Amino acid sequence: MTLLTGPSRGVRQGAPRRVSSALRPWLYLSPLLLALGVWIYGPALFTLGLSVLDWNLTTPPTGFVGADNFARLFRSADFWQALGQTLLYAVALLPFSTVVPLLLAIMLWQRPGRASTVYRSLLFLPVMMAPVAVAVSWKFMLNPLLGLANEVVGWFGIPPVNWLGDPSTALLVIVAVTAAKVTAFNMLLYSAALSGLDRRTIEAARLEGASSWEITRFVVAPQLVGTTVLLGTLSLVLAGQWVFTNVTVLTQGGPDGVTDNIYYRIYTLGFEFFETGTASAAAVIVLLVFAVAGIGWRLVRRSHVPR
Amino acid sequence: MSRANHPMRRFGPVLWHTTLTLVAVAMVFPVLWALLTSFKPANDIYSVTPFSAEPTLDNYVRVLADWPVLTLLGNTFVMAAGVAVGQILIAVLGAYALVHFSQRARGPILVLVTISLAIPPQALIIPQFLMTARLGWLNTDAGLIVPQLGTCALAVLLLVQHVEAMPRSLTNAARLDGARPFEVLWHIVLPALRPAISAVAILVFITTWNEYLWPLLVAPKPEDTTVQIGLTQFQTAEGNDFGGLLAAATLTSIPIVVVYLFASRRITDAFLQSGIK
Amino acid sequence: MNRFTRPLVATLAVSSLLAVSACAAAEPAGRDDNAETTITFSSYSYGTQGAAGDGMQTLLDAFSAAHPEITVLPEAVPVADALTKTKAAVAAGSPPDVQQLGYSKMAEAFATLPVQSIEEIAGDEWDAHVEGIAPGLVRTGENDGTVKALPFTVSIPTVFYNADIFREAGLDPENPPTSIDEVSEAAEAITATGHNGVYFGLLDQGKSDYLTQSVMDSAGGQTVDDDGTVALDSAKAVAGIQKIQDLTTEGLQPAVGIDDAIAAFSTGDLGMFVSTTALMSNLQAGATDKFELRTAGFPSFDSKDARPTHSGAGLVVLAADEAKQKAAWEFVKFMTSEEGYTMITEEMGYLPLRANLATDEAFLAGYFAENTLLLPPLEQLQNVTPYRSFAGAKSNQATVMLQDDAISPIILRGADTQQTLTEVADRIRELVESE
Repeated sequence: MTLLTGPSRGVRQGAPRRVSSALRPWLYLSPLLLALGVWIYGPALFTLGLSVLDWNLTTPPTGFVGADNFARLFRSADFWQALGQTLLYAVALLPFSTVVPLLLAIMLWQRPGRASTVYRSLLFLPVMMAPVAVAVSWKFMLNPLLGLANEVVGWFGIPPVNWLGDPSTALLVIVAVTAAKVTAFNMLLYSAALSGLDRRTIEAARLEGASSWEITRFVVAPQLVGTTVLLGTLSLVLAGQWVFTNVTVLTQGGPDGVTDNIYYRIYTLGFEFFETGTASAAAVIVLLVFAVAGIGWRLVRRSHVPR
Repeated sequence: MSRANHPMRRFGPVLWHTTLTLVAVAMVFPVLWALLTSFKPANDIYSVTPFSAEPTLDNYVRVLADWPVLTLLGNTFVMAAGVAVGQILIAVLGAYALVHFSQRARGPILVLVTISLAIPPQALIIPQFLMTARLGWLNTDAGLIVPQLGTCALAVLLLVQHVEAMPRSLTNAARLDGARPFEVLWHIVLPALRPAISAVAILVFITTWNEYLWPLLVAPKPEDTTVQIGLTQFQTAEGNDFGGLLAAATLTSIPIVVVYLFASRRITDAFLQSGIK
Repeated sequence: MNRFTRPLVATLAVSSLLAVSACAAAEPAGRDDNAETTITFSSYSYGTQGAAGDGMQTLLDAFSAAHPEITVLPEAVPVADALTKTKAAVAAGSPPDVQQLGYSKMAEAFATLPVQSIEEIAGDEWDAHVEGIAPGLVRTGENDGTVKALPFTVSIPTVFYNADIFREAGLDPENPPTSIDEVSEAAEAITATGHNGVYFGLLDQGKSDYLTQSVMDSAGGQTVDDDGTVALDSAKAVAGIQKIQDLTTEGLQPAVGIDDAIAAFSTGDLGMFVSTTALMSNLQAGATDKFELRTAGFPSFDSKDARPTHSGAGLVVLAADEAKQKAAWEFVKFMTSEEGYTMITEEMGYLPLRANLATDEAFLAGYFAENTLLLPPLEQLQNVTPYRSFAGAKSNQATVMLQDDAISPIILRGADTQQTLTEVADRIRELVESE
């Protein structure tokens, strides 16, 4: 079987000690497959098994309960609320993981130099301090009675807001608080992508008299589409996880559950209530939702005629 | 390449600086507030004024005296570096193979990698923990590091994209010259991947550094535990010592700043290089 | 399947099988047994910053000095994760031998963890040892007719108040309010001066319902009955919570979380703060050189005395091995002895749990002559109501449900008290009475 792409390479004769070309790819891939298999898919199968048991981790499981855990989840309003809010988080964080970091990365890339390095480091700073400390700092600032946030809005004549305690503002506040971290991370990734760009096309366009705006729009941006799609997809999938620490420290699921999301729900079910079966069932549901979404996405893409 | 020759000179400098300054202030503010609060004495810690009337180093003194800063930093560093290096290895080898070798296996493997992202980690932790215990890896570096290698999906996806974006002409030329696949990887692909690898390394390092749940379960002994767990010592049943917490957090972010500065050099250096030869 | 996918699937399948088979019941970890016994002690006070952490170390050192034949290996654990870690340890086959366990998690521990009966392990020594410990506290640790937990670091609710604000509002700091109506009046006077009046810390960070119970008990109701029937929607329980809601509705109590209230109190912006004595040293630190901190007993809600319950932690024994159980008993006995409780008060700032200690010169009389803040709550300790838990393995979940879905919306967002409590009571009944 031919595993190599491109023209057949010059073959050095003999050397039976060389790795056979059939085996080589698997050699390169084995660490990946091993890591995934042992530490992700193995436990995932275990979780699948747990989802049909009623187990609290320490006493022997009381036996097969079939779809009971699933039924209980579907009947629970908390579950649907968490699921819906996971989607809200995903949508709300999307601009902060694509548009904003992209613009910032491009701006920094346009003027390399000391100022740029300083800005870049400052923008990355929120990521470098322990998440607990950053969350605590926000808690101070968002204190409705004597926090900085209400002081500042007071200057504009707005009455004090109960940022984290008001069900109508809590979720957006969590998003805002998490946005900094997400932007910083993704800005780093866009910067890496930008530094891998082929300079020659840019130079060529410039020599032809293209303006900076045209170069950005027609030469640079298309090369960043791949990264953007990837980061956008990651954001949709992982948004609920990114807000996890802030939800844990600041609202614990929020006033009346408005800052809850499915990952926090699974954590609560599994680690606070020890309903391991139900937590596993919720995880299975999440996986199914993503699988369906993924398949749907594939179908939509395939139905477009490729250019 | 000097600034004058840089292909992009879009914004007027004033607009550029203003925008970036505003954004930087917004991003940095909570960290700044944390830093300022760490210098406030206990009876002033909640005040709204940025600077206390009597700023003090008490919190820092206490943290350095009572808190095992170096042990925690050491443990966390080993864990974060171990996972970063491990995931980079897995991802580089995997991405190279997926792009340059196995065209037909590529689809299914990428699906598996992507799906692994969608599996809620909170659900997997218990089985992972039980497995780690069974392997006898509790309270060991292996137990802290190896299971976390499973979350390499992000690194793999990012590196696959970067490897794909490399012009094939380079690798094909090398192969025509008779280079073996590993040599192609080492001499051609890796250098071009340097900014990407640096970015991924920073991200994985920091994400692992900030990990809480796994070290909580796997490294319960005080001498083995990590910074995030150690920080919880300031949030006790008798109330929170926020001054101490913030001082400790400030001290322990210094190594991360160092790692970041070191690794981000590679990204910014790449900006200044003139294209791919 | 084409030729590429087959080896791929095979690799994954084998890896997964390996993983799954490794998940089969873990072997219990063996321990070395020499002439000396070694026991592990999981404690959320150990290693923490502050008086409690240092105090715990002093206690452990004192025990080692008194019992050189027993080695104690302490394990620190963040207070929020104490039960989680122990459950994980039990699942992995290596539970700690002794644990400092919060009372709000105890019922669940009894139902799901291998908790031993301390009463049985103590045997003949039991009666003599237990005599003198506040009886309500010992009763809380009872399960299945035997005592499985002895009180260790215990605190009860108290009213912290800012004497300076009192004076400013024209109130007398020497005569703090003793009933909920008096609290309300005082809060009104304080609010008139521009400060926040009072805050009842029912919404504990750890989602414990100890203060909710204190309010309901003092009003003549209960969260649960003695036979486990959920009673938190009874008229008297509702009336008690209603009084707290009224404080918010009348603008006397800020509708914020407890951390924000602590911040306000420490900044001198809140007149009265009702919470656990455990926060004493933290609040004292915040008040130093700023305002005069005082304490008063928990207020009464009907015409009878206040009936607060307690919070804090007890000691439970999980060891299965007989030698370790004996060693664990020695440890628990020391920690709950007169000497142990004296050290807990002096070094850690918790309440002395034996009646004679506060007035005995040999123990704490001198300490209390200087530290008068603990005296008002101490008066209420001897007759403290036992802390009650919902029955069974889901008790923790029920408590969280009570706090998050009932108390929080009622007190902070003006939800209808009777209706919300009834709804949540029904949901809790479904949860715990189906066991």
